[in-house]
Amino acid sequence: MERLSFRLFTIFIALLFALFLFAAITTLFLIPKPNEIIESIKSEEMAYSLKLSLVTASISTLLVMLFGIPIGYALSRFDFYGKSAVKSILDLPMAFPELVLGLALLLLFGRTTFGGALNSLGINVVFTKLGIIVAQFFTALPYTARVIYTAFESISKRYELVARSLGYGEFETFRKVTLPMARSGLFASTIIAFARSVGTFGSVLILAGGSYMNTEILPVTLYLNISYGNIGMAITSGIMLIIVSFTAILIFERLEGSKNVSVRG
Amino acid sequence: MSLLEVKDLNINLGEFHLRDVSLTVEKNNYLTIIGPTGAGKSVLLEVIAGFYPIKSGKITLAGRNITALPPENRGMSIVYQDFMLFPHLNVFDNIAFGLRKKALSRAEIEREVRTISRELRIDQLLHRKPKTLSGGEQQRVAIARALVIRPKMLLMDEPFSALDEKTREKLRSMVKKAVKDYSTTVIHVTHDFEDVFSLANRVAVMKDGRIVQEGTPEEIFCKPTSDFVADFVGTNFFHGRVLESSNITTISIGNIAIYTTEVAEPGAEVTLSVRPEAIILTRELGMYSARNVLPARVVKVKKRGHVLWLTLDVEGLTLRAVITLNAAELLGIKEGVKLYIMFKASSVRVIG
Repeated sequence: MERLSFRLFTIFIALLFALFLFAAITTLFLIPKPNEIIESIKSEEMAYSLKLSLVTASISTLLVMLFGIPIGYALSRFDFYGKSAVKSILDLPMAFPELVLGLALLLLFGRTTFGGALNSLGINVVFTKLGIIVAQFFTALPYTARVIYTAFESISKRYELVARSLGYGEFETFRKVTLPMARSGLFASTIIAFARSVGTFGSVLILAGGSYMNTEILPVTLYLNISYGNIGMAITSGIMLIIVSFTAILIFERLEGSKNVSVRG
Repeated sequence: MSLLEVKDLNINLGEFHLRDVSLTVEKNNYLTIIGPTGAGKSVLLEVIAGFYPIKSGKITLAGRNITALPPENRGMSIVYQDFMLFPHLNVFDNIAFGLRKKALSRAEIEREVRTISRELRIDQLLHRKPKTLSGGEQQRVAIARALVIRPKMLLMDEPFSALDEKTREKLRSMVKKAVKDYSTTVIHVTHDFEDVFSLANRVAVMKDGRIVQEGTPEEIFCKPTSDFVADFVGTNFFHGRVLESSNITTISIGNIAIYTTEVAEPGAEVTLSVRPEAIILTRELGMYSARNVLPARVVKVKKRGHVLWLTLDVEGLTLRAVITLNAAELLGIKEGVKLYIMFKASSVRVIG
């Protein structure tokens, strides 16, 4: 009897939470008036923000993957000096508030000789569009590298040893055996990298500044318009964010599916 | 000159290590490495393949020092217990994988793949993906992939242990023929003595990262040089004193005497070995040509495969014998039964 009621209790909690979450998401689509949304979509600000979000997140995703694959591979395959330090530092941002990460980046690029050196080379990160990419990159990379690491870990090293014994060098083995075998894991990582990049807010706000029609990406649009009391614009940017993320997942799954492997497979 | 010479190899991988391992393998030899789990058999194989850098020691292949050579330049291919077929390639591409690194035309690759596939009877499976194959088929593909590049040496790490007995039997005879046709030198790590008996012409026994004995299967099984090897290969083992040695040698062990055809110095302390399968059991005494006939009591009966392993008490001496299930039924073998054992004087080896 006691067992049954405990069982009902856990199921009840699960259902209750799912219901609340679903209700919250539905509200986002139900509260605003349709013409308000259409007006917002047509606005110059929304078009600017959407475009900037897509461009910066795409560039960030590309960079995150270019860095994440070697990082994940090195951590999974090789023992090297400082490996555990690298692992711990990569884990930091997950427990780290995004805002604080943004602040740390702001100080690094704005207040140190390193930032000054970049500045004198004409590379300005603070309060610029480049800053958006930098902030997204630093926020998304730790998560992505971790997923990529797991993808490589799930592939037995012996596949690579067999390839090596058959005459393939380290890099060739990586290209011909490890990469194709890790493909579905890498697709999943790309989605995560993109979703994290598009949704990054705190670190972008601090490093790139949330300035109107300049470093304004979708989360910033949402924030700015909430502050102005412009609910229609805020909700629309929220809906836009969701649509962008879901479209990304759909596109990636389609690409992956056409090659006969499921992302979750 | 030996094909492979391993000299004073040392490596420490934490859990596994090798200590002063020296080994030579002649061309076209089939060497099996046996030993308890954790003895370092697989590590030795992977070190020879070049997968781990070694702390000290030297490996020479056909006169060339390959100690520091990366695995891709050693010309040795490896077959693992769990097949390790590339899941994203079909059977043909798996087999052709190593050939594609060689300067071969498309037609030559095709011909080589077809030849080895016919040899291992997987020519009907070339278009299939590995995961659709049975274990035996997968392992034949893995062996084909390793053999087709005509390696200087084929390394196999318990290649049959993931397969059932019948498939194992079939694969042994296929491998035997293929290895001969491709005149390949093999090192084969196994824990199955059947592999040793049906394939090997050399055996190395490993323990705690060392090679404790190396020789022909006969030498290992009939003349183990240490208690450990004798125990491991399952032979019976006694220490005694030589009483006299004329046309037959008499050795006293506790309160019994054992006869052997081998010559020994009277008065010397010797160690004897008798193979468990050399021991014959009988319920009643009669006239036998066997010189050693002793009363025994069955202490323990253990079924292993199609045979029974008996632990016998012979006048305070513990002895192991192996008999078939039929024989056990005929003799009414069970724990506590008293009977007689006998073995020929020529089955008793003086091993030290």
